[in-house]
Amino acid sequence: MIEIILIALAPIIGGLIYGLERVVRARMQNRKGPPILQPFYDMLKLIDKQAFIVNPYHSILGIMHFVTLWVVVAFVILGQNLLYVVFLHLLSALFLIIAGFSVKSIYSHIGANRELQAMIAYEPILIMTAVGFYMINGSFDISIIRESSPLLLSLPLVFLAFLMIIPIKLKKSPFDATEAHQEIVGGVEIEYSGIFFEFLYMSKWLEYVFIYLLLILFAGNSQILGAVLSVGVFLLVNLVDNSTARIKMKHLIKIVLGIGLTLSMINLIGLSYV
Amino acid sequence: MFDFKPIRKKSPWILHYNAGSCNGCDIEILACLSPKYDIERFGVINTGNPKQSDVFLVTGPVTFRSRERLIELYTQMPEPKVVMAVGSCTCTGGVFRDMYNVEDGLDRYIPVDVYVPGCASSPELIIDGLVKALEILESKTKEIEKPFKLFRNETNKDGVVNRRNSALKVGEEIDDEEN
Amino acid sequence: MTTYSILIIAPLFFALAVLIGGLRVRNILTVVFVLVLAGASLINIFVETSTLQTSLSHSFHNLFILLDSLVLIYFLWQGIIKKHNFVTFFALLQMMLYAAVVFFSPSTTSSDILIDNISSIMYLVINIVGGTIIVYALGYIESEKFSRFKKNGFIALLFFFLSVMNFIVSTNNIEIFFLLFELTTLCSYILIAYRGDEISNENALKALWMNQIGGLAILIALIVSITQYDTVYFDMLISSINELYLLPIVFLAIAAFVKGASIPFDKWLLGAMVAPTPVSAILHSATMVKIAPYLMLKLAPAMSGFVSVTITLIGTFVFFSASLLALSKDYFKEILGLSTIALLALMMALAAIGTDEAITACLVLIVFHSISKALLFLQAGILEKSFNLKYVNDINGLINHSPLVVFFIVVGFASLTLPPFGAFVAKFMAIESIANEISNNPLYALALIFIALGSVFLTLLYFKVLTKLLAKDVSQEKEVHVHIPKLFTIPSFILLFLLIIGIYVIFEKEFLSSVQIFVPMILISVVPLLFATLLFKKAHRVKEYYCGEKEEVQLNMYYFDIPRNYKKVITAVAIVLIFILILGAML
Repeated sequence: MIEIILIALAPIIGGLIYGLERVVRARMQNRKGPPILQPFYDMLKLIDKQAFIVNPYHSILGIMHFVTLWVVVAFVILGQNLLYVVFLHLLSALFLIIAGFSVKSIYSHIGANRELQAMIAYEPILIMTAVGFYMINGSFDISIIRESSPLLLSLPLVFLAFLMIIPIKLKKSPFDATEAHQEIVGGVEIEYSGIFFEFLYMSKWLEYVFIYLLLILFAGNSQILGAVLSVGVFLLVNLVDNSTARIKMKHLIKIVLGIGLTLSMINLIGLSYV
Repeated sequence: MFDFKPIRKKSPWILHYNAGSCNGCDIEILACLSPKYDIERFGVINTGNPKQSDVFLVTGPVTFRSRERLIELYTQMPEPKVVMAVGSCTCTGGVFRDMYNVEDGLDRYIPVDVYVPGCASSPELIIDGLVKALEILESKTKEIEKPFKLFRNETNKDGVVNRRNSALKVGEEIDDEEN
Repeated sequence: MTTYSILIIAPLFFALAVLIGGLRVRNILTVVFVLVLAGASLINIFVETSTLQTSLSHSFHNLFILLDSLVLIYFLWQGIIKKHNFVTFFALLQMMLYAAVVFFSPSTTSSDILIDNISSIMYLVINIVGGTIIVYALGYIESEKFSRFKKNGFIALLFFFLSVMNFIVSTNNIEIFFLLFELTTLCSYILIAYRGDEISNENALKALWMNQIGGLAILIALIVSITQYDTVYFDMLISSINELYLLPIVFLAIAAFVKGASIPFDKWLLGAMVAPTPVSAILHSATMVKIAPYLMLKLAPAMSGFVSVTITLIGTFVFFSASLLALSKDYFKEILGLSTIALLALMMALAAIGTDEAITACLVLIVFHSISKALLFLQAGILEKSFNLKYVNDINGLINHSPLVVFFIVVGFASLTLPPFGAFVAKFMAIESIANEISNNPLYALALIFIALGSVFLTLLYFKVLTKLLAKDVSQEKEVHVHIPKLFTIPSFILLFLLIIGIYVIFEKEFLSSVQIFVPMILISVVPLLFATLLFKKAHRVKEYYCGEKEEVQLNMYYFDIPRNYKKVITAVAIVLIFILILGAML
């Protein structure tokens, strides 16, 4: 029962995380910042706005992206196969990319292309993380991973690699070239408006839930470690976001793949000897 | 039915357009977003995308070159929306009034809701104007708002409003007025 | 009369039957014949489920030796008249080795025909997917400027090809396997050179000499097998194999690498693009290259230790590098070709791992890769014939002219990468089976990285191609649709149907649970439509945002500049790995 409530509330939890993050970021910059409920005000306002359609496919694909992402989060909460979840997440990302390509807009295309390139960076590391869990537990099932002892101790390097992809997924500096609000006006999401943009806005919240749920898996069955990890990573990611500049896609791929894959490979090889 | 109107003023997303300004007002607008004035505390985001904005901040006296873009951006903003003319030039043409290449203020082209004077208008004034604009935003409806010039009304058979060609180029203006 | 003999012999008669007759008769006959073959392959898998073994009489063996000699003489003749030194040299070398094989051939016998589950599945792939492509070829070949006889001959050759393929997956005798291997080489040689112009001839000769290397590898494997194990039969070789002496297996594996156009032998498959598109379709999907994973699957039980790891590494390395190289390509068929090379290498790597799970993954990939690739190549043919397009960058907003073709292309690409399609399940199982092996040998961690990177590069490649297809032009009110002949679209629909059956089979075989497949599928398809009907009526139609400008924009595809020397480095690494494989097996 608690799972179903969690699944139903997933976007709201994500919205709260997002709202909290805006406050934390503002405080780090010595500002007051918006209220914590700000994302929900935005959401309600977007429902009220006049909706625009560029072409029907584009709008439907945006909704599909949101639905798929929600299914992904639901599967994580229900404790399904982690590898399948990773690939389903890829599917949701691809819906957004196809949506970006389906309009004749330069910014949208550049954004979609950058999303595709960012995929090169995070997808292998997500797979390596899943395999790391598999090697310890002998199963990809999230419900089994949740019951094992804390995995952070045996997968420290994979954890570091996973840390590197969090800013990519949450569109944070230094790895936020996919969205790049100042250069390409948000990339893929540019042609959405009103209620259609709402779905994209809410899928951003779901992305938060997804990433933090995966992060908590590193804590295994220890709830305290899970809480410490999520709060620590939350603060760390925002600190890094506030203190770094955006880097180019090319460097993003090189840095994340170069360091992340090496780290996770060393970790996996190390596991096979233990 | 849930009343969305009070929510509107809690999340104004702005689109900032420079219609030939000297950049004085633009810098003041950016200053508003900085930690000292922090208009993000009202929920403001500078989107840079008309399709997701509520408040249209225009600076500059509207030069000849900029008016087509002005109309295009204005028609691409979904209702309800408010327009703020920031700076003396945008309100009246300012020191550029009656020049050969200037259109003497924003309100010749699109309906303006709030005038913020000053050369350049100070951040405090802009914030004050923004708060006024939000009050106006609350009372607006979702009726389509039209620019005064360079606009064509179009709906297809099913009654769906087509805004694809509603913003006209300058040459096209005359035909439309004759009709 | 058993089904396998129908599958092998009937296409030969069909080939003769379609040679004569006009357009209408030939078309009807072909459709009937394809239905017969598809039916026979279905009967084979559902009715005759047990493993079947028989021997052929002595006169058959003599016939095969005669045929083989004729084929080799033909190769030699072609090498001489076309003045191609490689072909001549390899033909001579093969003749000598073949004579030695025939001379020393041991007296021990086993069954010549062996039909197991793998063969039955291969029958399905060859006859159903191959048959669909033949139906497509009926329409395609009519738009070429050939004589009536040459057009009919094309269809006949395709039937002959199916017969050879059906035979090759049912044989247990390596000598017969060699003959059929050479026959497929011959078929592809004739088919690639079918247009008869200079480039076609050149590429056909390239395909010929490269495939001859494969034949040579089989002959060497035969000689080693005869001297060391005193047998020419797959089953005896595999059961009596000594783990310390895997040389015949290694040489057979090299033959598989050649047929599978694995780097460094990739040139011939890419050269084969000049042939009419049905040839590319049939080479890439149902026949020819599928010999490679099939052979690996057959050898899988005999592989162990060093050989298994090295072949897996070579396979995954090629998977990664071929998909990387494809990123800089612009020719639609070349992109498809390189992704075939990549996926074949993955299949071979999976077969070499040899665990049950890996072998299932390999089979699933064989089946679904052929369906998806056939679908995509058919679309490539349609693009060439109906739109005169070859290069991806020329495909401007295809969705305005033919949403159907775009739909097929998107489904084709999605079925190779995304859940819930079959190829995805294979990738999923591949990762799982490799993850199982890492604890045995850390080198598999490298293979895993290659797979993870390769698959994401392939995704990037496919969806990069979509850039130009999908951009819908909203400023024009009327869309100009281009008419596409029925003979082109019906085979595509059949393949689409096969893909959907595939999803059902995956559910039935419990690779994925019903929750995993159906819940997302239903939600993803129904909910957005629901919203769409609710929201679309009130929404205003607008143009894209160009910063307020009104000028039209021209969109282009992204290119990834892969430096030239990468190709050289990759080829060098692949060659070195193959030499390490041979040396390691010798020592």
